[in-house]
Order: sequence, then structure tokens, then C-alpha cells
Amino acid sequence: MNALTYSTALASGRVQLANVRQRSLLVAQVRLLAVLLLFALAAVASVLRIVMLGVVEPAPRSSSLYEALLPSRGEIVDRNGLALARAFPAYALWYNPGALGGGSPLVRPPAEVAHVLASIFPDADEADLRRRLIAGKPGYLARRVLPEQANRIHALGEPALEFPREPDRFYPQGSLAAHVLGFVAADGHGRVGMEEVFDKQLRDPLQRGTPEMLSLDMRVQGALEDELSKGMLETDAIGAAGIVLDVDSGEILALASLPSFNPNRPDQAVNRLVFNKVTNQVYELGSTFKPITVASAIDAGTITNLARRYPATPIQIDGFTIKDSHAMGASLNAPEALIHSSNVVTARIADELGAERLKATMIALGMNERPYLELPGRGFPLFPRDKQWARITNMTVSYGHGIAVTPLHLASAYAALVNGGIWRPATLQKLAAGQAPRGRRVFKASTSARMRQLLRMIAVYGTGRKANAAGFRVGGKTGSAEKPGAAGGGYKKNSVVATFAAAFPMDRPRYVVIVMLDEPKGTAAANGQRTAAWNAAPVVGRVVPRIGPLLGVVPDDSRDIDLTDLAPLIPHGGGE
Amino acid sequence: MIASRTSLRRIGWAALLGVCCALLFALSLKVNALKSDVRRTENRIVALRTETMYLETEYETRSNQQQLSAWNAVDFGYVAPNAGQYLENVRQLAALGKPAGPDAPSPIRVAAAQTEAPGMLPAMVSPLTGKPLGDEDEAAETAPVDHAKAAAGLDDRLGKVERDEPAQVEKVEKPAKAEKPASAKPRP
Repeated sequence: MNALTYSTALASGRVQLANVRQRSLLVAQVRLLAVLLLFALAAVASVLRIVMLGVVEPAPRSSSLYEALLPSRGEIVDRNGLALARAFPAYALWYNPGALGGGSPLVRPPAEVAHVLASIFPDADEADLRRRLIAGKPGYLARRVLPEQANRIHALGEPALEFPREPDRFYPQGSLAAHVLGFVAADGHGRVGMEEVFDKQLRDPLQRGTPEMLSLDMRVQGALEDELSKGMLETDAIGAAGIVLDVDSGEILALASLPSFNPNRPDQAVNRLVFNKVTNQVYELGSTFKPITVASAIDAGTITNLARRYPATPIQIDGFTIKDSHAMGASLNAPEALIHSSNVVTARIADELGAERLKATMIALGMNERPYLELPGRGFPLFPRDKQWARITNMTVSYGHGIAVTPLHLASAYAALVNGGIWRPATLQKLAAGQAPRGRRVFKASTSARMRQLLRMIAVYGTGRKANAAGFRVGGKTGSAEKPGAAGGGYKKNSVVATFAAAFPMDRPRYVVIVMLDEPKGTAAANGQRTAAWNAAPVVGRVVPRIGPLLGVVPDDSRDIDLTDLAPLIPHGGGE
Repeated sequence: MIASRTSLRRIGWAALLGVCCALLFALSLKVNALKSDVRRTENRIVALRTETMYLETEYETRSNQQQLSAWNAVDFGYVAPNAGQYLENVRQLAALGKPAGPDAPSPIRVAAAQTEAPGMLPAMVSPLTGKPLGDEDEAAETAPVDHAKAAAGLDDRLGKVERDEPAQVEKVEKPAKAEKPASAKPRP
């Protein structure tokens, strides 16, 4: 009994023990499972995170240093690396009434502070400033403050006047090349010029680290704008435009349209000033087209003998009379027609050449389409639309009337005239050596060589004498076209567009310079004359010596293009 | 014995672990220090680059083309160089020393006014003859620098200047000019 009792007691103890063991095993297994699950969860989470990092999230930026030095908007530089537009953290003047932590926002009376601020900013309205200081609402008192002005405000000792640095667009050269650069509007997007063209690249974090390089040379641009504005003031013109173009690559080294605007003050950039006269405005450029006509005739073989004389008597056609501004004798040959700028003889040459061929030349020179350039505002030429040009159309186009193009069209055409006959699109981006576009042949190389002589003769013996800068072998053609728009659909007698289209040095042309004055007056500085020979040509004569040495063209009196074969064809030309 | 060896080994391992941990800690400290150093240097680079950009922009703004041409118009009056200021090659340079031909016009020379005290400037040498300009006796007078005389002259002038009498300064300088005739006078 005892044994039985013992055994049952023992047995029950064993059972209990077995139960405990089982239970603890179970607990251990559950815990193990829990830990395993935890680990599995952690592993899955890690894998998921890795997958997310690798697939969904973008790659981490290369470095914080790069990021810190990345400008908020990319830089624009000229061909020598000079900064033309850069992101610049400029001071602004912010009124923070809560700076003193309650009570009066200002230490001194608002009227006194407003008075001092008005003395720092002479263009500010004192009453308005006082009103805003009293109102006690946070806001800008001035959007852009110079460091000197910031120092003076700091000296006031008003904690409520803060000057935070805010990313801003700054143009160190002021209004220089404003039409090429454009400006950045309040929405952060570029307007008008290359700021608009490059807007995407300039804002892209991956691309804005490297500056955009333009083909402009700021020294050349400065000289061109300086002389253009002098010429404009001297002749009391309402506007002026100028281009310097590389004849071999089509790169634009300077492009100016006056009056200009200051891109640092986009609020003052009104449409009238922002309008680009070089690329957007079309003009009847007048006699500057005559060399193109003569070149076309030489190229086509209708002029084989430059000594041949054409009658200079007025031409009656379709009820119009084509005549010259003054009598030039009974007859002229082609070089004389260019030197004295005869409409009649040019019209006769064009008549002989035929409308078909002159039109083909004009189309080959791109005169029937918008100019090739990156800038957004490009004017569409007024090109005679008839499928077959009438005889009168052909004749008027030959001396630059009845066709209106931009000065840029003319620059590209003159580059083709002198560079061996290849027309190339103009560009504002710097091209590396050998990167120039192939272009298309418009004139034979021999025609181009002849045209260099003829253009040089105009500057030596003809209307372009005032552009003949000593030692620079300038050649070019004047053009003084009356502006259309008179009552009755004719031309205004007293408003002209005076143009001088030049290239230098003529023995190996490198650059084309176009200078155009809009409505110059016959001032004393221009000897009372309105024609290009007296206003636009002297500007070229002053620009070329300034830009030549900068561009590697050295003045040389002992060197010139050979004119001896043509000189006998004109009186006083050194012939026998 | 066995137990003590095992415990010894355990203590050894623990010590090794401790040392490794300490080294790791020291290393991580060092790495962190270096990292913050790098960060500080980077910040300094950014600050300096920004400063450079500010200064560069200020310089470019103050020296922009319009400002330069305004200064030139008022103060300097520089004009574009002409053909005579360029020499293309050594031949052209050598041509300057060529003796004049029989019918060649006499070279034009510009008279120069002596503005310094005598003996302060070296003699001008003619590019044609290679000799000092002017007569031999003048050249002899010009060549050696009379420091004592020049210093005396300088002292004299400074003394006058200190007394703030511009009229007397003029009087002192004029004889100094007159003592020596213009060395570069037009050649016959």
C-alpha cells in the first residue's frame, strides 16, 4: 500500500516533471520562433530597404561640397571666360517688426528712421516708408541693397531692419550686351536673350555647374557699344544697331542694339528698349545690297568685263522712275556704280542678270527666312512673294528696296561675299576650332576675291572713305535708305536708315562689321548730311582700330589688297 | 589546474576583447575627428570660394567696359594703337637701323623738354647711329650722374616745398632746366 502510494506519488511527480519539461520546451520553442520571426522580419525589412534604395530612391548626390558650390542658376561667360551673368546673393532690406520681441518694433521714432532710409535710398518715397514702418507689417523695404547702403543701415542700430542675402541674378557689365543676355524675371525664368534660350540648362542641377560660354568678346562689345552710342548722340538718331561677325565661323563677337536696358533692373526693361534691332527689326537696307547684286552678276557671268559702261540715265518702268540721288555722268562702269552708289546702273546690271538668278542668290543668302541665331526674337523678312519677280521688283531689290531684312541677314551675306563665297548660319555660342558649320556655297571663290577688291575700292575712293581706318584695310558699302511709311504709301523723305556694312582686313577678311543708325539727323558733326557716308561710316572707322588689335588684326601700312587691275577703271584711281 | 587554465584563457580573451574594443573606440574617435576636420575644411573652402566670387564680381563690376571707357575718356585718353607701333618681324626691326638713302627725307624728330634735374636720366640713344643724341660735349655732360649735385638740388627743392612756396620752386627748377640745352634737338 505504502509502496503503491509511494509509487503513485512518484509517478505523479514524474508526470508533473514531464509536464514542466514539456511546457518549458514549448515556451523555449515559442520564444525561439519569436526571435526567429524577429530576425526574419529584420532581414526582410533590410532587403526591402536595400531594394527601395536601389530602385525607388534616386542616387545620393556626389558630394556636399559640390552641392554647396553649385550656383542657384548657372553662369554665362563670354569667349574669354569673363562672367556676364551670375547668381549672386545680394542684400535685400527686410522689415521684421517682431525682432525686438514685442512692444514698439523700432528703437527710434518711425518718422526719423524713414527720414534716414530716404537719405540712404534717394529714389525711395519717404512718406511711403514712414507709413510702412508705422503699419508694422513684415515686408521688403528694398529688394536690392548695395553693401555700402547695408553698412549704413546697420549703423542705424535698428534690429527690425534686416538684410538677408538672397540669390539674385547679377550682370557685372551692366547694360552691355543686354539684348544678347536678356534678364531673369521674378518667376525665376529667363527672358528675351540667352537667359531664355539656356533656361533649362541654367536651372538643371546636373548642368548648371559648368558655365555657358558665348561667342561674344566683351572688349569688342564694349568698343562697339561705346562708338555706336557716340555716333547716335552725334547724329541725334533714334536708335542704332551693330554687329561684329567672324566671317569664317559665323560666331558673333559683338551685337548691340541701342537704346538698351539694364538687365539688373528688369522692372525697367520696357518693350521699346528690349526690342532687338539687330535680329528682330527688318529694314530696307538700301545700297548695301548693291555689292550682292554685282557679285551675283559676276558669278552668273553677265558681268565679264568690269570696264563696260552702262548708261546712267533714269529708267522709266511701270510708271516708276529709277534715278540716282545726284547726277554721276552719262555712263558708269560697275566699279564706278558701286563707288558712287548708283541705283540706275545697279538696276541695269540686275535687269541683265535676270530676276530668276538674283532671287536665287537672295534665297541662297537666307534672305527669305528668319535669321539663323539662337535668340528667341527673330524677325521675318519682307521678301517679294511673287513666284516670278516682276522686272521692277528685280530692279528695286538690286539696290535694296522692296526687300526688308534684319541687319543680321546683311552681316551673314557680307561674310559670304568676302570669305570665299560660303554662307554660314550665325551663332552666339563659342565654337571650338574646326567646329564651324560647313555652310553652303553661294559665290565662286573668284567672285569673292573680286568683291573684296570692289569693296576695298569703295572705302578707298568712294562713299566709304570715312571708314577707311589707317592700316586696317577696311572695305565696305554705305547704304542710306529712306524709311517707308509716308502718307500715301511712299517713302519718308527725311527719315533714313543709314548703314555701313564693312569687312576687314580685305587682304584676308576676318570680321564683318555692320553699323546702322536709325533716323540720323543732319547735325554739324555729320556735316549736315543724313547719308551713311557721313554718319555710319565714321563709326566703323572708329570701331575697327579699337577692336582690330584685340582680335589679332594688326594695323599695317605696308600691306593691302591689290587694286592695280581695277584702279585704271575709275577716275583718280591711280590709273594712267 | 584545468579549471584555472580555462578561466585564465577566458580572462585573456576578455582582455583581448577589451583592448580591441578600446582600440576600435579610439579609431572611431579618430575617424570622427578626421571627418569633422574634412567637413570644417569643406566649409572653409565654400566660404573662401564664395568670398572669391564676391570679390571677383565686385572687381568685374567696378572695371566693367563702360566704366573703363568713361575713365579713359576723362582721365587717360588712350587711343587705339596705329601701324607704326607694331613690328611684325626682325626684318622690319632691322630696317629701322638702315642708313638713309641719298634722296630720302630727313627723319622727323620731336623736341623733348628736360623736366628732371640734370644727370637724372640716361642719355637717349639714336636708333640710326647708335650714338647718344646731341653733341659729344652734351653727351659727356649727361652720362655721369652727379649724385651730390642732384641730391643738393633735391634737398633744395624739398626745402622749398616744405615752406609751401610754389613760386620759388618754379624759380629753382627753371635754372635747372636751362643749365642744359634740350639734348634732342632737330637735326639739320
